[in-house]
Amino acid sequence: MEGKILAVSKEAKTLIAVVAIICLLAGFGIAWVFKPAPPVKPRLTVIGPWGGAERELFVPVLDAFAVETGIEVDYRMYRAEDLATILPAQFEAKKTPGDVIFMWAWWIRNNTDHILDVSDVITSADFMPGTVDQVTVDDKIYGAPYTGKVKPGFWYRISFFKEHNLEVPTTWEEFETLLDTINDTLGIVPIASGDGVGWPLSDVTEHFLLTFGGVDLFKGLINGSVSWTSDEVKAIFRDNLVPLLEAGYFSEPKDWTLILEDWWEGKHALYFMGSWITGMVANASDLGLFSLPGAEAFVFAPDFMFIPKYTEYSYEAKELVKFLSGVKGQTVQVKQGGHIGTNLEVKLDDYPAVDKRVAEILEGATAVTDLDDTVGGDFQTTFWGQLKYLWVHPEEWEGVLANIEAKAP
Amino acid sequence: MSQKNITTPLFFIVPAVILITIFVIYPILHTLLLSFLSPSGKFVGLRNYFDVLGSKEIINLDRFTSTYPPWGALIHNAVWIAIHLPSSILLGLFFAIILKDVKGASIIKSIVFLGMVMPMIIGGLMAVFLFDKDIGIVNVFLRFIGLRSLANLSWTYWPETALLATILTGIWMWAGFSMIVYSAALATIPREYYEAAEIDGASSLQKFIYITLPLLKAPTQIVVVMSVLYELKIFDIIFAATMGGPGEASTVLALLMYIEGFVAFNFNRAAVLAALLTLLTLPPAIWIAKTAVKRK
Repeated sequence: MEGKILAVSKEAKTLIAVVAIICLLAGFGIAWVFKPAPPVKPRLTVIGPWGGAERELFVPVLDAFAVETGIEVDYRMYRAEDLATILPAQFEAKKTPGDVIFMWAWWIRNNTDHILDVSDVITSADFMPGTVDQVTVDDKIYGAPYTGKVKPGFWYRISFFKEHNLEVPTTWEEFETLLDTINDTLGIVPIASGDGVGWPLSDVTEHFLLTFGGVDLFKGLINGSVSWTSDEVKAIFRDNLVPLLEAGYFSEPKDWTLILEDWWEGKHALYFMGSWITGMVANASDLGLFSLPGAEAFVFAPDFMFIPKYTEYSYEAKELVKFLSGVKGQTVQVKQGGHIGTNLEVKLDDYPAVDKRVAEILEGATAVTDLDDTVGGDFQTTFWGQLKYLWVHPEEWEGVLANIEAKAP
Repeated sequence: MSQKNITTPLFFIVPAVILITIFVIYPILHTLLLSFLSPSGKFVGLRNYFDVLGSKEIINLDRFTSTYPPWGALIHNAVWIAIHLPSSILLGLFFAIILKDVKGASIIKSIVFLGMVMPMIIGGLMAVFLFDKDIGIVNVFLRFIGLRSLANLSWTYWPETALLATILTGIWMWAGFSMIVYSAALATIPREYYEAAEIDGASSLQKFIYITLPLLKAPTQIVVVMSVLYELKIFDIIFAATMGGPGEASTVLALLMYIEGFVAFNFNRAAVLAALLTLLTLPPAIWIAKTAVKRK
């Protein structure tokens, strides 16, 4: 009996030991499950339009921010055209795909219900005059200017011009002669026409409008006080742009990054493109630039960013906006090439040589906003589509202008 | 029917009805309602319909005599149907017949079917390169056979060829569908029919006309309806290849609906286009539903 009791007692001990182990494990498990979560380190998401080489030039700026603040940032690329369809649905659901998003100024102005006021971190006087106005509604600032791009004129390879004894034109007649020479002597189509969704063609057209129509006409086209079928606009197309298209001096449109390579290889002599081109070629020191003779105003298009109301990290997002729009962030960017600072404290010495020339062009000239980006909406789509049509059927230019006017403000 | 008998089917039907009501019926009704309102929410009757249907983007009467687009999105959709429907059906049928009973045919069929598997948006992007004057494989082929005038154009940039380039891309991507349907249908035709015809001295052409074609009627109905629906709602290829351009020369109703809705943010006009598209897709859908019921 005693032995049996002992035996039972042994079993009981084993049972107790097993139960104790289970309890211990369960305790550890519960403790692990309910342990206080370590504080989540904010990680911001920035959405911008830059891919490929342009992205490579932007990422160092975000890295510099991470080093300075300890806040990590992920970058995602979305074109503004795509964001325009994605964001409304996201915002209606009170969600956002990014904490800081680069977008058109007109779009920011039209969507202030979903955007944080950043008046506390942005001071209008720190930037080029008129820049912050583009994202200001009822005295509240809803966006921040980043660096900008100038659409200064026709780029050429200095070595190419030297090799073929070509001279930079100083008058319209010299410009025409240059195109004749390139076309007849070298046997190539002089000007490369880039295409994306259509914006490269709109850039060169805007340069013609600004040069031959002036700032007032240009601004009138933006605000709707000047008609696309007015005599002044018709004259610019009839006398300047269309004759060059009809003479075959502009190539057929082709994807703007592919035709960039063609131009660089010498299949074309000139390429009208924005200042970001300096960051996209193998040897920027071989880049030369001239505007249409007589040009006194240029399109300067700052990139704007905003913070959606639905970000989880509004404080950190504002820090990032402050950094990117500030002198530190913009200086890192302009040093990479291809960008022009909007912050007045960015020094001319910080630009690479070729960008310095672009920045100098702006000095003394009038800077205006990009026409189609400012108007936006379906005007922009129509404008791009009609210019693509004009490029292959220049003889129908009057119909093209009528179609653009139908969608103009 | 007893109480119990009613409860059981209801139990199965109600969840589906709720989901369909929320996700199908309500959006349709709301879209219809939007099409009768102004952007400010005021009831305007059929004014939006008259505006949209009377616009150049839908039917461009000024250019009806022109030999190349833009003729308007509705006409472009009709051109899509006129070219894409017979071409993709005949091409699919052709592949199905020549690959029937061929060793290794499944590999070739898989290659043809790749177009169906590939996202249409990728197909649209590829169209730009396929029809490029310098690097496009189509242009290389055209140059090879001596059609230099066509070979020296990048098709997606010219109004004369942009619509055709997107249609040809659509044929390449869609032919796999009819091929697979016809391949499956051909496999179900009893071999005895052909053997009997051979005994009666029928030629290959006679066997095809009197045996194969009649027995392919039902699958053809399916292919026709599915293809017409595809052609009416075509969007992705055009969005990626031409964005409807140049100068609206390749735009279609679905793309126009997108532009009105998400570029111009005119949801009322977009709703009119959605209603129009629904109206156009209803007849083929009803026809196939009726045919299926009759066949049962």
